[in-house]
Amino acid sequence: MGFRTRSWLAALALVASMPAWAQSTIKIGWLSSLTGPLSSAAIAENKGVEFAVEEINAAGGVLGHKLELVTRDTAGDPTKAVSFAQQLVFSEKVHFVIGPVNSGETLATVPIVARAGIPNLIIGTIDELVDAKKYPRAFRAINTNRQWIEAANKYAIEVLKKNKVAIIGDTSGYGTSSAKTATELLAKAGIKPVFSTLVDPNKTDLTDEMNKARAAGADVIMPWSAATGLLGRLINARGDMGWNVPIVGHPSVMAPAIRKLINKPQYWENTFAAGPVSTTFRADGKLPERTQALVDKLRPRLGGGEIDYLFWWVALGYDTVKIVEHMVKTAGGTDPAAIQKAFETTRELKGAYATYSWTPEDRNGFPDLDITVNVANTLKDGSFKAAPR
Amino acid sequence: MTSSSLRSLAGTLVAIAAVATLPWWVADQYQLHLAALIAVYWVLICGLNLVVGFSGQLSIGHVGLLAIGAYGFAILAGRYEWSPYLSLLACGAIGGLCGFLLGLPSLRLPGFYFAMATMAFALIVAELTLALGDFTGGGVGLAVPPFPEPFASPEGFYLLAAGAAILITWLTRNVAQSQWGRGLIAIRDNPVAAESVGVPVFRMKLLVFVVSGMSAGLAGALFGSLQSYITPDTFVFELGLFFFVCIIIGGRGSIYGPLFGTIVLTALPEMVAPLAKLGNLFYGLALLAVVLLVPEGIGRVFEVLSARLRPRKLEHGAVEPDARRLAELLREERSR
Amino acid sequence: MIVLVSGLAAGALFAATALAYNVMFSTSKVLSVTTGHIAMLGGVFGAYVITGLGLSPWLGLLAAILVGGLFGYLTDVIAIRRVVSRSDEHLWLLSTLALATIVQQGVGLWWGTEPRPFPRLIPQDFSAGLADQKYWLPIIATGLLAIGLELFYRRTLYGKLFVAMSEDTFAARARGIETDRIRALSYVIAGVIGAVAGFAAGQLTFAFFALGLTLTLNGFIALAVGGLGSNVGALVGGAALGLLNAFSANAIGGEYQNTVSVGLLMAVLLLKPEGLFGARNVRPV
Repeated sequence: MGFRTRSWLAALALVASMPAWAQSTIKIGWLSSLTGPLSSAAIAENKGVEFAVEEINAAGGVLGHKLELVTRDTAGDPTKAVSFAQQLVFSEKVHFVIGPVNSGETLATVPIVARAGIPNLIIGTIDELVDAKKYPRAFRAINTNRQWIEAANKYAIEVLKKNKVAIIGDTSGYGTSSAKTATELLAKAGIKPVFSTLVDPNKTDLTDEMNKARAAGADVIMPWSAATGLLGRLINARGDMGWNVPIVGHPSVMAPAIRKLINKPQYWENTFAAGPVSTTFRADGKLPERTQALVDKLRPRLGGGEIDYLFWWVALGYDTVKIVEHMVKTAGGTDPAAIQKAFETTRELKGAYATYSWTPEDRNGFPDLDITVNVANTLKDGSFKAAPR
Repeated sequence: MTSSSLRSLAGTLVAIAAVATLPWWVADQYQLHLAALIAVYWVLICGLNLVVGFSGQLSIGHVGLLAIGAYGFAILAGRYEWSPYLSLLACGAIGGLCGFLLGLPSLRLPGFYFAMATMAFALIVAELTLALGDFTGGGVGLAVPPFPEPFASPEGFYLLAAGAAILITWLTRNVAQSQWGRGLIAIRDNPVAAESVGVPVFRMKLLVFVVSGMSAGLAGALFGSLQSYITPDTFVFELGLFFFVCIIIGGRGSIYGPLFGTIVLTALPEMVAPLAKLGNLFYGLALLAVVLLVPEGIGRVFEVLSARLRPRKLEHGAVEPDARRLAELLREERSR
Repeated sequence: MIVLVSGLAAGALFAATALAYNVMFSTSKVLSVTTGHIAMLGGVFGAYVITGLGLSPWLGLLAAILVGGLFGYLTDVIAIRRVVSRSDEHLWLLSTLALATIVQQGVGLWWGTEPRPFPRLIPQDFSAGLADQKYWLPIIATGLLAIGLELFYRRTLYGKLFVAMSEDTFAARARGIETDRIRALSYVIAGVIGAVAGFAAGQLTFAFFALGLTLTLNGFIALAVGGLGSNVGALVGGAALGLLNAFSANAIGGEYQNTVSVGLLMAVLLLKPEGLFGARNVRPV
């Protein structure tokens, strides 16, 4: 309570010293790779972000201030992301930065936003992105790569009872680092992969890799790659070979794009991936209430028909803005230090994508409990059924 | 000293003064960052210009050398904690060495073969930065340390980069205006004729390529430090294409044309949002337009314009033979 | 065995790209950076017509041929015609590079940057294994294209004009051959070759905007290894590169793919600079 009063006082002092604040907007910088080779996640997240801003502004804004979204398209290029991050924090003087979308860009922008002391919502999954000491105002809303991999490993080992693992990564930055983390985490469980390889994401045919995995005696294939083309070929190779081995891996194996890339619908059976609980249908066939509420609100904007995105990208985008709203309300303003405190004292903030908690020590807001394993071919409205346990 | 050389000296001094005082009159740190980025790019492009603009070897893969410089700096100054200044010099040396190793086999190849070889080089470097994960951090990349005071602040770093840019401009200007530069242009325009009048064609091409490798290594170290974090995604092939396009659009065989190209092509997409959306399409369109309409580059347009404006002033004074321009005109006549 | 077949299938695409390089080179002495992008267009437009518009595979093939031919023609009109008459040999490299960038980015903006599926052309079950059409379609298509091209060169008047022009453009022009028209025709033919190959290999590559640059490089390596100007060399070079890629990925993994390809190129260029089947006719003056 004491803290609340103090931050209110600080905010009052701020308002008193800057009368302009009464009319000014709360500026949110949004670094988004809307074009370029990594655009699909960003486009979906952007739907959520834009919708949340409009919704909040239609309801009168936050503490009487409208939100102003300043979007910059980084095209997935870290150099551009660095420039735009500088532009947002120094030229546009935004109060928050959301993004960038890809880990490679985020690695480069986090130190810059941190140096400017601006609160940064992280939506990249690579573990190195947050650090309470080095980047005290960078808070992650998305799950970590480790959470995805741990969930998938656990499912393969404990539920499917498989321990002859074949790891297939791609040669991109994200693919190599994920494959490495996956190997390390398996080693902790006492498992050494029987086969492990990295593949060029544009390689035209994966039959050879799958043959080798089979020859090595693999009984589960774990792909760690975000390249849908590669994953489509992997699933096709398995189907064409007539090898009924389970695939458990990166959420991209259940992306809507895969459905179009595979040769036959049944090839997508026996394929599982880590995904958030929020977009997993419960046993009664319904989505969690908060997700369903957002789906209903957004459906008209997404074309009215079946939703053609992984819905959790949209929910994550929506949540980032709602988190900003929550923090401004808690801190009573946009003072960065007060916002940091507000983050650090947030427990169980209920969003559409997850229930977030941050602490002074832990910048990862996404709880382990909110991750599960989905069945890929149950995709409907961007959501999935839970994998059988 | 003639009046024209006095005037160019005064112009140079004004330009240097403007560059040096920039931190005090830019609007904010973002613009300063852009200025530093331009300076860093220019360190590379200025060296590359000797290769592309003067000796006529079309290298589209200098981004590979940039990556080597940046990773070299991150590893030497970051992991092994060498002095940043020593690391910077070492990166220049490594860049030069890699330039030598790349140039030795590939500079003997004809134009298109050479361009493809440099492109392949850039792809190989990208592949190795990913594959040698223990050394380069693999896909996760590496943090790059900043320079110590007084170059730690954005203003300080900008001045360091600008200083390097001015130094390299001065060096290449001297090369371009010497006997050497003439030799290089002769190689570009007609290698056979150049060889027949005693220009050591291959040796000169290789030497210039090594110089460009050194400047690319230096630029890489500065670039890494400016970005503060590097991953393989940073050094995409399109960046190499961008360096190349800056030179072609600015104008081959000139120094200030490519400088102009670098400034405009770096700043424009940042300032004009619709252009950013087009991304590399914009560079492609600009390159095509320039190649078809003014193959000599935009810089040439300015030269022609200023040449048209100048004679009016000269009417008042005594007519001085301008040997340099005359020689230039003659040369153009010949190359036409 | 699967390594051999899939390597040959990928190699067929490289070989067809090398053939397209050859056809354009024969009449203009230009190696166009757009060569790989032609095949990309064939794949993308084939997929667009068959999947997007729901038309038959034959119409898809027709569309790919038309688009490839048109793009070849436009390459000549935009990037070659104005430039090739100038003495500066570098301008065509720049203009084709610009055009290649424009096409790749333009397709990326229109078609999207994710690889999209390429439809099944002939009804066949997917469990055919080695006999699957995605392997033999590109191999057969490239074989037919090579035979057709050879017949065209030997049996038709235009083909003979091509040969005449490739030997000596100036002499051909002096003999009253309309070299501009022949060159335009050669670009159209190269466009058709590339597009048909890209179409036939679509199930292997998917319809993907960034395929062009990879193919430009790999097709060029196939060409340089086989020997510039030789169609047999293009076929051999393509097959060799495809097999080398497949076997090296099999043996040491995919991380060093480009390094291995370029290693092959460098080895051949150092040992036999004119390529395996190339004619040694260096005439710099």
